[in-house]
Amino acid sequence: MFNFFKNSEKESLDKILAKSADFKCLEYYNNKSNISFTLKFLATLVDEKTIQDSVLPYLLEGNFKQIEDVKQIVPLPDIKLSEDISQIEDMIFNGSVLLTVNGKDNKFCFLGAKKEIGRNISLPEVEFSVIGPKESFVESLDQNLNLIRKRIPVKELVIEKKTVGTLSKTKVAILYIDGITNTENVNTVRQRIEGIEFDEITDSSYIVQIISDNQNSPFPQLLDTERPDRISAILAEGKVAIFVDGSPHALIGPTTLVEFFSSFEDYYLNWILSSFFRLIRLFAVVFSILVTPVYVATLSYHYELIPQDLMSTLVASRRAIPFPPILEALFLELTIELLREAGARLPTKVGQTIGIVGGIVIGTASVEAGLTSNILLIFIALAALASFTTPVYRIGNTIRLLRFPFLLFAEVWGLLGIIVCFCFLLTHLIRLTSLGRPYLEPLYPPRMQDLKDAFIRLSFDKQRKRPFLLNTKEPYRFPKKAKKEKKDIEDE
Amino acid sequence: MRRTLKLIASVFLASILNGCVQKEVLDDITLIEGIGFDYIDSKNILGTIVIPVYLPKQAPKNITFSAKAEIKKSMLQDIQRQTADPLVTGSLAVVLFSKTLTEKVGILPLVDPFQRDPGVGSGLYLAVVDGETKELLGGNYGIRGNATYISNLMNHNIKNEDLPQTNLQWFLADFYQEGKTPFIPQIKQIGKDKLKITGISLLKYGKMVDFIEAEDMFFFKLLVDKYSEGLHRVKIESGEAAVRSIRSSHNFELTKRNPMEITIHIKVDGIINEFTGQELTPKNIQELKQQFSKDIQKESLKLVQRFIGKQIDPIGIGHYVKTQTRNFDFNNWRENQYKDIVVKIKPDVKISESGVIE
Amino acid sequence: MNANVPDSKKISPFLVFFLIHTMQTGVGILGFQRFIAKTAGYDAWMSIILSGLVVHILLWMMFKMLKIANGDMTSIHTLILGKKIGKILSSLFILYFSLYTVTILRSYIEVIQVWMFPELKTFWFALAFLILVIYIVFGGFRTVAGIAFFSIVLPFYIAVLFIITIQYSDFTNLLPIFDHSVKEILLGSRDMTFTVLGFETLLFFYPFIQNPEKSKKWAHLGALYTTMICIYLAILAFGFFSEAQLQKNLWPTLTMWKIIKLPFVERFEYIGIANWGIVILPNLCICLWCASRLAKRIFSIRQKTSIPVIATLCLIATSLLSTRDQINIVTDFTAKVGFYFNTIYIPLLFAGTLIAKKVRNRETHS
Repeated sequence: MFNFFKNSEKESLDKILAKSADFKCLEYYNNKSNISFTLKFLATLVDEKTIQDSVLPYLLEGNFKQIEDVKQIVPLPDIKLSEDISQIEDMIFNGSVLLTVNGKDNKFCFLGAKKEIGRNISLPEVEFSVIGPKESFVESLDQNLNLIRKRIPVKELVIEKKTVGTLSKTKVAILYIDGITNTENVNTVRQRIEGIEFDEITDSSYIVQIISDNQNSPFPQLLDTERPDRISAILAEGKVAIFVDGSPHALIGPTTLVEFFSSFEDYYLNWILSSFFRLIRLFAVVFSILVTPVYVATLSYHYELIPQDLMSTLVASRRAIPFPPILEALFLELTIELLREAGARLPTKVGQTIGIVGGIVIGTASVEAGLTSNILLIFIALAALASFTTPVYRIGNTIRLLRFPFLLFAEVWGLLGIIVCFCFLLTHLIRLTSLGRPYLEPLYPPRMQDLKDAFIRLSFDKQRKRPFLLNTKEPYRFPKKAKKEKKDIEDE
Repeated sequence: MRRTLKLIASVFLASILNGCVQKEVLDDITLIEGIGFDYIDSKNILGTIVIPVYLPKQAPKNITFSAKAEIKKSMLQDIQRQTADPLVTGSLAVVLFSKTLTEKVGILPLVDPFQRDPGVGSGLYLAVVDGETKELLGGNYGIRGNATYISNLMNHNIKNEDLPQTNLQWFLADFYQEGKTPFIPQIKQIGKDKLKITGISLLKYGKMVDFIEAEDMFFFKLLVDKYSEGLHRVKIESGEAAVRSIRSSHNFELTKRNPMEITIHIKVDGIINEFTGQELTPKNIQELKQQFSKDIQKESLKLVQRFIGKQIDPIGIGHYVKTQTRNFDFNNWRENQYKDIVVKIKPDVKISESGVIE
Repeated sequence: MNANVPDSKKISPFLVFFLIHTMQTGVGILGFQRFIAKTAGYDAWMSIILSGLVVHILLWMMFKMLKIANGDMTSIHTLILGKKIGKILSSLFILYFSLYTVTILRSYIEVIQVWMFPELKTFWFALAFLILVIYIVFGGFRTVAGIAFFSIVLPFYIAVLFIITIQYSDFTNLLPIFDHSVKEILLGSRDMTFTVLGFETLLFFYPFIQNPEKSKKWAHLGALYTTMICIYLAILAFGFFSEAQLQKNLWPTLTMWKIIKLPFVERFEYIGIANWGIVILPNLCICLWCASRLAKRIFSIRQKTSIPVIATLCLIATSLLSTRDQINIVTDFTAKVGFYFNTIYIPLLFAGTLIAKKVRNRETHS
């Protein structure tokens, strides 16, 4: 890997580390075996209680003659002997204690005494669901992997680890199930992660953007989730999951556009209910993107479209407004965006106040002042509400953005402009891929088989086949059931 | 790549800025909802438009403008000079013609612009006004504006009552159909805020040649509309009943060719709405049925004879004969055959219900 | 340059259904009822069936030829006429497809100008639309096929909405059947063929089909579907309009929309016309793609270079056409060229291919 720092020899390592206050270099002497040894570690990374309780007493009083004895006398699970100097830096920064016997510098030992500081598993916040498990990922990679291992306790679940980032040395884990997941997909992920060249990877969001097929697209091309249940489900489907140390969001790939509109709660409800809710969500998204542009287009160009009975309401509400519909719409849209931004940056309690102030006070006041029409206010509020129904937060942001180009086009060519803009969007989506797989699937390329879990979700016994998109090694989820004989009403 | 992107973006921006089309912002235009034409002399007409002024939480105010002109467009031009916002025709709902105009000049030259203008919908209602349209449009009807009132009036009468299907599309289809002549309803102002459908005007080459009274509209609708509803009063000895036809259909049959004989089968499925007599016995119902049949037969035949006498064909008998004959000669039909045609009416009446009391 | 196409760029056979159908339906379908009724009257629905049959025969010939030549149109030309003459003839098709693009684009803009925005500037709208087309074609043939797919699936609701017009229709207009002579019906089917042209693009995208044998069925189904849609629209229009009235309407399909009234939309035609943009979009894409693909096959010009060049030329040509007469002249010309190409040149080519195959077989035998 590319290295900024030219002086990486052992000598200078000690010197460089000595500049840090938390670097400890302690010498001890074992009376029994007449041996003196040194412990080097970073106090901030190492649990000193472990050293005190389960390392030092044994080293000082045990039968410690040479470095190889450590494995026998120290009751720690993670002990590694090594002669490779280049490992030292990595191991020390991973919270290991370097043990050397004085005078024999070429052999040394690493004692794992990592200090774990992190929060406990908590409720999912972004993807909350009423039904279903309530645990969510945290920042610690090991803890997250533990959650997955527990859900898929089979040997085929493979966890590959990579380190990316020249400064952050972030640990990244690639998860897949051997024998189900298509190796091509795994290879793509592996290659792309290995190809990452960036200094500081702080979150999985960095990885999403760096390894995306098209970085200039507003659409997220990997799904992210904080729910262990979702990850285990997609692993079983044959997808690849990526975990990043320090990020409570795991990534899923390859993904499709429709997956962003499916909440994981859909699988906990009966299929009729969940299909209905999915359709409602789909409608909400279309509504949210199109309602203001259509309002602007209709009022600016196509008054003919307005039904006779609605005409008087619309005209009366607009009569006193000094701005053309586009400015009126932009003004309100921006207000809502401002409210959202303000609300997102503030603590919960203040955020609520802002919501009330913005929603009620600004809305009512601007209608009464004659700046905006109350009908548009209703539309905009509904559109904002509808955009919150997206179960994945990321796609909600995309939808917020999409409204503006549509508005611009609607202003220029009315409905025709909306169609032109829609065609651009459609083309973009057709051209987009996620890990080389079509993003718009199962719509295009049209695959009936994958529609069973897209806009609607059919019952589990209809979900026998794994998604065609993933081209899995094992295409079936369970063996075919013997066909039941059709019974008459009263038959046993 | 970046340069091409920039190029595309700038070209695109330019196309958006230059490609702008003229806006018609809803509150900056004057929506014409109704137009009326009155007769001045053989060359000139008086056009009146009615526009609604929408007020918050109130019924819209009707404002009319009038101008004298030769054809529609120049009349609008004149009115443009009177209004604050540009006039648009997109939400036109009714076009009215005064009776004198319809009789003397005909409505054809006036209808043409409406079928040519892509902004005007086909669901537009045409009507003849007994009196002056300017006066009629100047009234105040209903709470939704005059034009909406008139179009709703027509709409519900077509759906539930005796008025046969009519609008611009029907008018044009009938007008251009060989072997058929068009008809449009007639309305009259009966008070400052009241209107009434008085009957149906029958046209020939765009001029009004005959008029069907409101009482005969029930039979006219039976003859003209494939399916229809309506109410008819039937009188028998023991009382008078109002029979509502809830389902009816008609069928033509070419029974003889030389000379032409046509049988019109009319099927009516009715219910009795009210009965003024003592008691509604099965015998009474039977009588009512027969009387109803007789009425239909007599009145319809009278109507058809009248049409033949006036050389008009709102029922489309000519069109029907054409559909039964290859290489049909319309000239011969108009000149010779139509005059001598024999028409028979065969009603088939069923009375299925008589209300919730015995 | 050979016709080899990497597998990952190929499309699945059933998408041919959409490609064929979308090329056949364009602006023509907005006004074909008038043309066919001019000669064949209200018996013209028989003309549609006849022309549908012709399309099937031609499709069959094309598949046969393509199988023998194992490539696209240029391969067929090379097979029969040799390299040089083949190239010259093939390059004529670049012109043909450019002309086709201009015709479609200009006719659509004319519809917009007449029905929606009289002040719409041809140049600027054409520019925006062509940029969209270039963006699509740059995505490769798979993207073009995707647009073709959506252009049929998304506006399908319009076909259903037409049912509303039935209550205003009188289908006895269609009676009596066979009121016109066979000759008139044949002439009508010639006029109909103008509308359903476009399937000849198969000759150019054939190498891009995975498993071409399987696509045969889909191509024929696509053509059949076009015929059905045309009959559906024709019968609805014949019932809706009386004969003389139909002749007065330039775009009967659009005029029929005027009567459609939904609870939330007073007039449907504005939505319909805007939506028609999606319908004609793949036509432009396929034409432009064919032209650029030909340029690549004949002159080895990179498609990334040829597409913008051809699009610019089309843009200039489109904005030069300003009056309805000019548009009509160009449209008629394109239709005629397409008609003769399909009904005369293709059968000739078919015969030629069969002979060339025989000759070649004899050569290898002796």
